Amino acid sequence: MEPVLEIRGVSKAFPGVKALDNVSFSVGKGEVVGLIGENGAGKSTVLKVLNGIYKPDSGGVFIDGMSANITSPRDAFDKGIAMVFQEQLMLPSLTVAENIFLGREEEFLKYGLISKSRMNVAAAIELSKVRLNVAPSTRCSELSFADRQMVEIAKALSLDSRIKGDVTILLDEPTSVLERKEIDLLFEIIKDLKQRASIVFISHRLEEVLAISDRVYVMRDGKVVFETTAADATVKGLHQHMVGRQLHNEYYREARQRHPTAVPVIEAQDLAKKGRFSNVTFTLHEGEIIGIAGVIGSGREDLAKCLAGHTAIDAGVLKIGGKPVSFRAAYDATAAGIGLVPSERKIEGLVASFSVAENMTLAAIPKFVSGCVLRFALENKTARDWVDRLKIKTPSTGTMVGSLSGGNQQKVVLAKWRVAGVRVVILDHPTRGIDVGAKEDVYELIRDMTAEGLAVILLGDTLEEVIGLSSRILVMRDGEIAATFNAAPGNKPTQVELVGHMV
Amino acid sequence: MGMRDRLQAYVPAIVLVALVAAIGLYDNTFFSSGNLLTIFADTMTLFLMASGVTFVIMIGGIDLSIQSVASLASCILAISLPRFGFGAVPLAILGGTVSGLLGGLVSTRLRIPSFIATLAVSGLVLSAAYWLSAERSINVSSEDSDRVLGWVVGETAGVPNEIWLGLAVLAILSGLFGLTPFGRLVRAIGSQERAVMASGIDVNRTKVAAYALSGTMAGVAGVVMGARLGSGSPTLANEFLLPAIACIVVGGTAITGGVGSIWRTFVGALIVQVVRIGMTFVGVSAFAQQIVFGFILVAAVAATMDRGKIFVIK
Repeated sequence: MEPVLEIRGVSKAFPGVKALDNVSFSVGKGEVVGLIGENGAGKSTVLKVLNGIYKPDSGGVFIDGMSANITSPRDAFDKGIAMVFQEQLMLPSLTVAENIFLGREEEFLKYGLISKSRMNVAAAIELSKVRLNVAPSTRCSELSFADRQMVEIAKALSLDSRIKGDVTILLDEPTSVLERKEIDLLFEIIKDLKQRASIVFISHRLEEVLAISDRVYVMRDGKVVFETTAADATVKGLHQHMVGRQLHNEYYREARQRHPTAVPVIEAQDLAKKGRFSNVTFTLHEGEIIGIAGVIGSGREDLAKCLAGHTAIDAGVLKIGGKPVSFRAAYDATAAGIGLVPSERKIEGLVASFSVAENMTLAAIPKFVSGCVLRFALENKTARDWVDRLKIKTPSTGTMVGSLSGGNQQKVVLAKWRVAGVRVVILDHPTRGIDVGAKEDVYELIRDMTAEGLAVILLGDTLEEVIGLSSRILVMRDGEIAATFNAAPGNKPTQVELVGHMV
Repeated sequence: MGMRDRLQAYVPAIVLVALVAAIGLYDNTFFSSGNLLTIFADTMTLFLMASGVTFVIMIGGIDLSIQSVASLASCILAISLPRFGFGAVPLAILGGTVSGLLGGLVSTRLRIPSFIATLAVSGLVLSAAYWLSAERSINVSSEDSDRVLGWVVGETAGVPNEIWLGLAVLAILSGLFGLTPFGRLVRAIGSQERAVMASGIDVNRTKVAAYALSGTMAGVAGVVMGARLGSGSPTLANEFLLPAIACIVVGGTAITGGVGSIWRTFVGALIVQVVRIGMTFVGVSAFAQQIVFGFILVAAVAATMDRGKIFVIK
C-alpha cells in the first residue's frame, strides 16, 4: 500500500532525554494504524512531529511520497492532518461552534463579520458526525469532560469536509476519558472514516488497539521496536515488545520489598472531595509502599494532591502519626512530614534556575540558618553527601538543576524530601520522562527509603511499576476504592486483575 | 550560569563606564570630582526608591505605590518633626512600611495582581498625604533640619552623607538578598513559585515581606527627599516611579522575576542619572529626554528578558 503519510529516520532530543531515535513510520490510505508503548516511549512525540508542533532534529516527513515541511498545527491542517490531543485544548469560554472552527473563521465571513448562524449550521453537521447532541452555540465550559472530547474529535473530523485529497486524523489517547458507549461510538466513526481518511491511533488499551487497527507499531525508549499487522498480533505478544524484557523481579528490587510494620503513619477515614473522590479509607504503615492504580479521572491524582496539602479535603478524617490533621496548604503537610514528588517535575518539583544544593535544601531552609544568615558550608556539605548517596550525575553541587538529565533531576527532588526529613513520600509518576537506567536507580532509591522506615504512596507511571514496587495496591475507579490487593513479593496480582477493577 | 548570562550581568556596568567616558570626552569638566560627587549624591534618592521595589520585581510582582508612599513619608516627616524631633524619621519610614504591607496583604490575601493592588494602595496613600498636609507643601524649619536631618544633608569626610547612606543601604540589602533565607526565597519565588509552594513554604509571608520592604525603602527615600528639599508635600516624589522602575530594569533585573540583584539596581540608577545629565550636557531638550528614556526602558527589557522562554506576553 502506498503510504499517504510517512516519517523516515526521525530523531528528536529534549534536554536530558532522547525522545525519538531514528523513527520510521507510515500510514497508508484508508488505514488505521495503532501506536502503542509505555509512557515516555515517544508516541505522542511522533504525533506532535506529524502535526508540526515539534520540528525533528533529523529525518523528514513525507506526504504522498513528497518531502513536506510542516511548520505548525495550522499548516498540518491545511496539508490534511488533524490531531486530537491527549490533553484537551478547548477554550472553555467559547461556544462549541467557535471551538470547532477556531482559526478558520474566514470561512464564515460576511461583510468582514463572522456569521454566527452559518458557523452554527456548519458546526451542527460536524457534531452530527460524532452523534453529539448539543447545540453548537453552547459554551464548552458547560459540557461534560467526555462531551468536550467528542467536540475535539468533531473538530479534527471537520478537516474531512474541508480538504480535498487525502486526510489523516491523529488521535492521541482519545478513549482514556470516554465511557464504553462513547468508545463504541468512536470506533464506529473511525470505521466509517476509513472510507475517506487514514487514522493514527494511540491508546494504552491494547485490546482496543487490536480491535480497531489494521497495523500496529510498538515503541520503546524513543524507538520503533516492532511492527505487525493487527491480525497477527496478540495482546500478550505486544505487551512483551512494549516492555522489552521478561518481567523479572530484579527490575523492581522485589527482594528488598519490606514486610510492612504495624506502625501506622497515615490513617485515612472516609476522605472525600466533592466531584473527585469519596469514601477513601486506608492505613499506610512505616516501611510500606501503597500503590494506587486508576485511569485518568479515577480520582487518584486528586487524592494525592489532597494528601500533600495542595488542595483541601471536604470530608473525612486524616490522621498522621495518630493525630488528626487538616492542611491549609502544602506547608502544613510538609510540617506533618509529608512530601510530594510531583509528576510535573519542572513546575512543582524544582526551581530550574537554582543550583543542585539550593534545590535540595529548599524544603528545609530553617535547618541551614544560623542567626539569620544561611549556612552555605553546611548546605554544600549536605548536598555533596546526597549527590554521593543517590549517585547524582552533576558537575558540582553548584550546577543549575535545569541542565541535568530528567533522571538526575528526579533524584534531586527525592533528595529534597530526604533532607527535609519527611516520613511519607508521595510519588506521582516518579519515573515519567526519564531513561530506563535512571528508572532502575529511582526504584533502588525508593527501596532505600522504605528500608529506612519511610512510607510511600505511589501513583505509578505504568501498572507494571505499581505492581512491581507496591506492598499493597488500591485500585480507584470513579473516585472510590474499587479493590485492594496485597502484593507480597512473589505473590503479586497481575495487570489483568487490576485492569478489571479500573474500567 | 552560561557564558552568555555571565556576560549579560556585566553589560550594565560596562554601559555605565562607556557613558561616563563618552560624556567626559565631550566635556572634560564632567570629570571634576565635585561634579561626579554631586551626580552620585543626586542618584541616591532614586536608588533608595528603587532598592526596595527590586525585591518585589524579583518575586515577579510590581509596586506602583512607591512615589505616593515616598511623598506621604515626606509629609509625615515635615508635620511631625516639630513635635517629635528625631522620632519623626522612624515615624515617616513606618508610614512607608505600613503602606507597603497593605499593598502586599491586599495582593496576597485577596489574590489580586500586584499591579492593581499597589495601584489602589497608591491612590489611598496619595489621599492620606493630601489629607495630612491639608493639600499644601509643609516647610521644614532650618533649625529642625540642622538638628535632626544632618545625617542626610551634611557631609562626612568630604563626601555627602546621602552617598554614605546609599552605600550602607546597598550593603545591607545585598546582604539581605544574598545571605538570608528571605533573599533565597525571593529568588526562588520569582523563578518558580509553584515549586516553592510545593516544597512546603508559605510563599505569602515572603511576598508580603517584600512589599513591606519596598514601602519601607520608599519611606526612606521620602525622608531623604524631604530633608534635601526642606519640605514635605503630597506631590514631592511625582515623576519618580518610572525612573525607579527604569533603574531596576536597566540594571539587568528581569521584570519577570527570579533574576536580579541590588547592586544591579545601583548601577542602573547611576546609568539613568548619567544619561539624564549627559543629555542636558549635550543639549537634548527636556521634552525629548522622555523619548530617550522610553527607548532605553524598552531596550533594557528586551536585552534582559529571555524572551525565547516566554510564550505569552500579558
